[in-house]
Amino acid sequence: MATTLLLDGLTKRFGSTVAVDDLTATVRPGRVTGFLGPNGAGKTTTLRMLLGLVRPTSGTATFDGRAYEDLAAPTREVGTLLEATGFHPGRRARDHLRVLAAAADLPRRRVEEVLAQVGLVDAADRKTGGYSLGMRQRLGLAAALLGDPPVLVLDEPANGLDPQGIRWLRSFLRSLAEEGRTVLVSSHVLPEVEQTADDVLVLSKGRLVRSGTLAELRSAARGGTAVRTPDPARLRAALEAAGSSATDAGPDELHVPLAPERVGELAAQAGVVLHRLAPAAGGLEQVFLDLTADAAPSDGAAA
Amino acid sequence: MRALVRAEVLKLRTVALPLWLLLTTLALVLLGVLATILTAGLEGAPLQRDDPQLLARAVASASGGNVVVLVLGILALTQEFRFGTATPSFLVTPRRGRVLGAKLIAVSGLGLVFAVASVVVALVASLALLTARGDSTSWDSVGEVLLGVVLVMVLYGPIGVAVGALVRNQIAAVVGALAWTFIVEQLLVALLPSVGQWTPGGATAAVLQLGDLATAGGEDLLPVWAGALLLVAYAVVLSVLAARLTLRRDLT
Ligand SMILES: Nc1ncnc2c1ncn2[C@@H]1O[C@H](COP(=O)(O)OP(=O)(O)OP(=O)(O)O)[C@@H](O)[C@H]1O
Ligand SMILES: [Mg+2]
Repeated sequence: MATTLLLDGLTKRFGSTVAVDDLTATVRPGRVTGFLGPNGAGKTTTLRMLLGLVRPTSGTATFDGRAYEDLAAPTREVGTLLEATGFHPGRRARDHLRVLAAAADLPRRRVEEVLAQVGLVDAADRKTGGYSLGMRQRLGLAAALLGDPPVLVLDEPANGLDPQGIRWLRSFLRSLAEEGRTVLVSSHVLPEVEQTADDVLVLSKGRLVRSGTLAELRSAARGGTAVRTPDPARLRAALEAAGSSATDAGPDELHVPLAPERVGELAAQAGVVLHRLAPAAGGLEQVFLDLTADAAPSDGAAA
Repeated sequence: MRALVRAEVLKLRTVALPLWLLLTTLALVLLGVLATILTAGLEGAPLQRDDPQLLARAVASASGGNVVVLVLGILALTQEFRFGTATPSFLVTPRRGRVLGAKLIAVSGLGLVFAVASVVVALVASLALLTARGDSTSWDSVGEVLLGVVLVMVLYGPIGVAVGALVRNQIAAVVGALAWTFIVEQLLVALLPSVGQWTPGGATAAVLQLGDLATAGGEDLLPVWAGALLLVAYAVVLSVLAARLTLRRDLT
């Protein structure tokens, strides 16, 4: 069941644009791997190379050593959801899945099962032309699940989903990984994978700028405490008296390089009223922004 | 491969297009039959009302849907790119040549369905009209012509699929194919049959034994068997070219 994905020196040039630049990474089973990068970073291009839709300029991408084209039954081995996957607008959703199931030689029963899994049973007989963005996304997910595959490669699966849909997707991806499957999910926003991913690959301008566990990324985050008080001057004085410091983080708000518990204690001792006391938000987000900004030459002459 | 053909047939069966194209085909067949029989015997018409070939000429109209089947083949392929279903198709079957092969087979099969329906409509309408007018209903050459009709209808679909795969752009492929069959080929076959006989349209006229009717000077076209082989060759060569040249392109 466990399948490891290996990207090895993967490179793709479109004319003078380097969409993906010498990308080497491992995606492990039993974990959700977030594939992050801003718009145009090369996520979709990477996934399309992985799936044999785009021919790499150089490098390889393999599933336990086999290229996608060489898999005996791709639909049973890798479930895929890609950006810009289309549906014939005049074809009913159920028929779309029936076509794929027929081509993959899967039993008809699977169509009904995945329709139920993504919550599309009631809309299954409608033509996809009348589907909303979120419904299309669910239908795409249903297609990815058809072969009950040990590997899932999903390009921005949360696009267009409503909050319930996103929550469902998160727990669904987690449960798939807990079953030992390999789950690779791309996103251009960190919070989307923050609660789901175990590992992250961060791509910027086609280059891998970070890979590792989400925990590692988190520990690189700034940390500290965000605190709001009507009397920042007195709190600052109390903190400095205790050997710490504080920086302004907005009106009535300070950032303190201490744990929230310690800040609370010092404030109580000094009798300062607090309106808010929390771990500094956006720490991880900031790491992500820094990472993807660093490798961004503004002239775009990446060659 | 059987599963793939089943999937391609299902693709055709689950959209409305083939039904509309079938109705268009049958309307064209009826028009062709009417035009052939009602003009027979008129001044300057190539056929007389007692011509033993009258029935054969009339039922040759059953091939009137060949261009419709050509368009069907083109759309069956280009719609995959237009609507983005090529991505899931090639994900399920990464060997793209197999998808193309299955589509060629499925579209041929649908061409056969169109052919049978066309032949039935053409025969019934022709016999009814000829009997009503008291014209010749000799079955001279009818068998061969009907065989030719089936062959043409079965081969035009795959030719369309291959053209669609080579051009990829739906509008360009359809407009180009229509301009070619209705203008370029008609002119070549009629005015320059030495060249025109080698076009798909010339081969079609040969298979349907329209020879001296199709050309302005009444020249002969290729023999029936050569026309048939030429059509098969067009379908095969264009498909192989598509598989080699355009099908492997990046799908972004
Ligand atoms: N077919 C193509 N021809 C030329 N350039 C392309 C093509 N496809 C992608 N690119 C370029 O490659 C780069 C990476 O694009 P890609 O779609 O992989 O980014 P992405 O990370 O998926 O972005 P997004 O978050 O917007 O989906 C971009 O600069 C894009 O313009
Ligand atoms: Mg993308």
